[in-house]
Amino acid sequence: MVALLEVDQLNVSMRSEAGRLVPVIENLSFAVAPAQTLALVGESGCGKSMTALALMGLLPEDFVITSGRILLEGRDILSLPARDMRALRGSAMSMIFQEPMTALNPLFTVGDQIGEVLRWHRGLGGAAAREQVLALLRAVQIPAPERRIDAYPHQLSGGMRQRVMIAMALAGKPKLLIADEPTTALDVTVQAQIFDLLAQLQRETGTAILLITHDLGAVGELANEILVLYAGRCIEAGASAGIVAQPRHPYTRGLLRCVAHLQLGQAPKSWTDLGEIPGMVPPLGARGAECAFLARCAKAADVCRSNPQPILEPIAAGHAVSCWCKAAVAA
Amino acid sequence: MTAFEAAQIHDASDVLLDVNDLVVHFPAGRRSGKPSFVHAVDGVSFRVRRGTTFGIVGESGSGKSTTAQAVMRLVPVTSGQVVFGNRNIAELSGEPLRAVRRHLQIVFQDPFSALNPRRRAGDQIREPLDLLGIGSRSDRDERVRKLLAEVGLPPQAADLFPHQFSGGQRQRLCIARALAPEPDLIVCDEAVSALDVAIQAQILNLLKRLQRERNLTYIFISHDLAVIQQFCDEVAVMYLGKIVEQAPAAEIFRAPHHPYTWSLLAAAAPPGSMRDELKRRYLVKGDPPSPVDPLPGCRFVERCPSAVEVCRQRLPTLDVVAPCHYVGCHRSAELAPPTFDSR
Amino acid sequence: MTTLEAPTLTIVSAIDMPARRATSPAGIAMRQFLKSPSGVVGLCLLALIIVGTLVGPHLYRVDPLDLVGAPFMPPDSDAWLGTDYLGRDVLAGLIYGGRATLAVGAVAALITIAIGLLIGSLSGFFGGVVDVVLVKITEFFQILPPLLFAMVLVTLFGSKLSTITVAIGAVSWTSAARLTRAEFMRLRDLDFVKASRAAGASDRHLMLRVLLPNALPAVIVSATLAIGVAILFEGGLSFLGLGDPNVMSWGLMLGQNRNYILDAWWAVIFPGMAIFLAVLAISLVGDGLNDAINPRLRRRS
Repeated sequence: MVALLEVDQLNVSMRSEAGRLVPVIENLSFAVAPAQTLALVGESGCGKSMTALALMGLLPEDFVITSGRILLEGRDILSLPARDMRALRGSAMSMIFQEPMTALNPLFTVGDQIGEVLRWHRGLGGAAAREQVLALLRAVQIPAPERRIDAYPHQLSGGMRQRVMIAMALAGKPKLLIADEPTTALDVTVQAQIFDLLAQLQRETGTAILLITHDLGAVGELANEILVLYAGRCIEAGASAGIVAQPRHPYTRGLLRCVAHLQLGQAPKSWTDLGEIPGMVPPLGARGAECAFLARCAKAADVCRSNPQPILEPIAAGHAVSCWCKAAVAA
Repeated sequence: MTAFEAAQIHDASDVLLDVNDLVVHFPAGRRSGKPSFVHAVDGVSFRVRRGTTFGIVGESGSGKSTTAQAVMRLVPVTSGQVVFGNRNIAELSGEPLRAVRRHLQIVFQDPFSALNPRRRAGDQIREPLDLLGIGSRSDRDERVRKLLAEVGLPPQAADLFPHQFSGGQRQRLCIARALAPEPDLIVCDEAVSALDVAIQAQILNLLKRLQRERNLTYIFISHDLAVIQQFCDEVAVMYLGKIVEQAPAAEIFRAPHHPYTWSLLAAAAPPGSMRDELKRRYLVKGDPPSPVDPLPGCRFVERCPSAVEVCRQRLPTLDVVAPCHYVGCHRSAELAPPTFDSR
Repeated sequence: MTTLEAPTLTIVSAIDMPARRATSPAGIAMRQFLKSPSGVVGLCLLALIIVGTLVGPHLYRVDPLDLVGAPFMPPDSDAWLGTDYLGRDVLAGLIYGGRATLAVGAVAALITIAIGLLIGSLSGFFGGVVDVVLVKITEFFQILPPLLFAMVLVTLFGSKLSTITVAIGAVSWTSAARLTRAEFMRLRDLDFVKASRAAGASDRHLMLRVLLPNALPAVIVSATLAIGVAILFEGGLSFLGLGDPNVMSWGLMLGQNRNYILDAWWAVIFPGMAIFLAVLAISLVGDGLNDAINPRLRRRS
């Protein structure tokens, strides 16, 4: 199947106060096929959100794409003029944000905000637009949409607002939906509802989803593929089942081991320390050529210290890892 | 709450904190002429035994944080008792209240707003010692160094300002500050929720180690059931200002009795066919309703799949269903609890 | 300073933080201030004016109240900047008058801030009835026309420089009070304040040691700007003939010579320029301070 989105050797840097270029994302490559979900996973400071903003052409002013290509349906969107790029946003690809509280304009009704997207991208207005808005609100399972269409964001709960955000993102019938931690700010029972909704909408519309999250455990079933980012570098990628079942990079293993898992129907075992990854992600500008995870890695060997970051090498079908000790870690 | 007391099998001397019918209402303006109130906490009772962890789980608006902050006397208590070491601290004010504060400390959710941006880390850890006049000047400096080491930070950290630390390190500072006056009880108000998963594990391990070493008592507030299960000895589930179910952790995850607990468990269950089945049967729809002027009847009635007429009319009381296991549901006897068959 | 997503901010602050630089919030603000062009220009200009008024009298020994020559002598005669309608030296007036003008500005600003901080902090910290009463008082002073009220005070208590200073302070503290109140209310609910309270801090400690240092940056910016406003105010009062006739100030020069502006422009334009430059310098410094304080420390969690 041909890829919908292809990112090829993307490099993003930040211009520091001294005018130096500090790498933020290094040599990132991945592809998303239609109707598939790719999860970008990593701690904060790993470049997940920056990747999303780079795709949308919305990088903050100090950040620049230094090299690489982003192909959407085979078209290089980095070379597009600003006007064409703007037309793509919302129609070819759209984004939902972490904070449904701040991502909606408080001064306009829900109906106005979704209707606006319909007007821009599908030329709909008046009664036709209202009809579409109602259909969208129904699609994101908002109860009593006839009433909610004229509500202001502050009159809705957090979960409801996130549903409105999703309706807005889907209004332009995007081929790619970027979801940046869409459930982090929501309650657990609402989180489960939103994940179910995204999965269902994907089945119905065939939209590809790029899901950004820090919770590797939670995305296993939702994502077809997983890409683990660490300090702006991809350190492991592959089919999600393979990665969750047999993580090969020490960082990925750490991420899976450090979360508590709910055990139902049995008495909990007495406390055993969670597996922790000591230290923290190296800040920007403090990342050398060697493996970025070196300082936190329990398995670090001499080969890791004396060599640059290894390239992402396949170790099984649909599973690649960037680690000098991958053979030893697997054992 | 006689049933509650009757079933309390623990030795009374063991109880460090006894909260009795705690009510916290905030004014919420006027509605059609009458003043209306946010019923943040609406008659909550529980006991916390020394050296154990009491977990409170619930969604936003459930009143779990307000409960904890009311116990700390950081929000005004409308009515009820908070008995800490034979004294009702809900009635204290002024100097006696300040004196009792050293025994109760808190770690907040957001490590960025929890530290004063204009004071050095060491000074902030010292603050409780200075305020309470504990030890001599050099003793205090020594204590700060020891505390930093205990939470895994180098002594140089004392001279830095909060903005120079990462989120996880700031949370370590907050823990050191809470430990400084050698409290008996520490409230952890979503203390790891704002952190990355890898850092969460570091902080949870640290809290557990400190509890072992110092025989600390925790009130641990979280929305993460998996963490609650491993971390807590006893768990209360709150919904709109009420405890709807309370039981030892071993019990509540094995045989939950309240439909809301079922929904929470369904949402947090590990992926697999059991989870799909649980979600299909028990996951509730919609969001929690507003805590302003709630209607009479069970708070959960609007989202409860098993609600009947009596649920709309009368507020259920907490009934004992097993030793130390209380459930506030009219239908707890007749509804079959979910079976957790992982195979 | 760009506004970035929260996670990036942590990183950004980690980069530009090599150990050798000052790391305290005040130190960072100072560094930011010294980077802002308007702040530095303003500071230099202000320093020049202050040094001029301090050192000037020792170099240019002419009494500003003495009649040194004929009235309306143009500049570049015996008197470098000419003489006024009584024959007093304009340059001497500028040099000595600057002392009085700047002193009035500074002291009036101090009074403004002192009253504003007191009322605003009590109001914001305690809330409730205290707040209602203090806000009503603030509002009362706010709706008084300031110039008129100051004129009444000066008329009642005589046009002495001290009366004028107090009058200016008494009419301009309301905005400082509102600002302080808002800052205290914002800070009051932050977790670190609760943590201090939980550690056993008294109300006094919370107000003076915890809230005040955090509210102060915003108050300092407004105090700086208040100096400029006070200088203009003094000028305005003197212009209306309510200045202290026994102490030379820029405002007084302006007020006394305004009738003769067509005969001797220099006696009005030079003090006018002096006021303009001083107020400009102070606003530039205030802007610079504002930029220095706001970007880093106000960041969201």
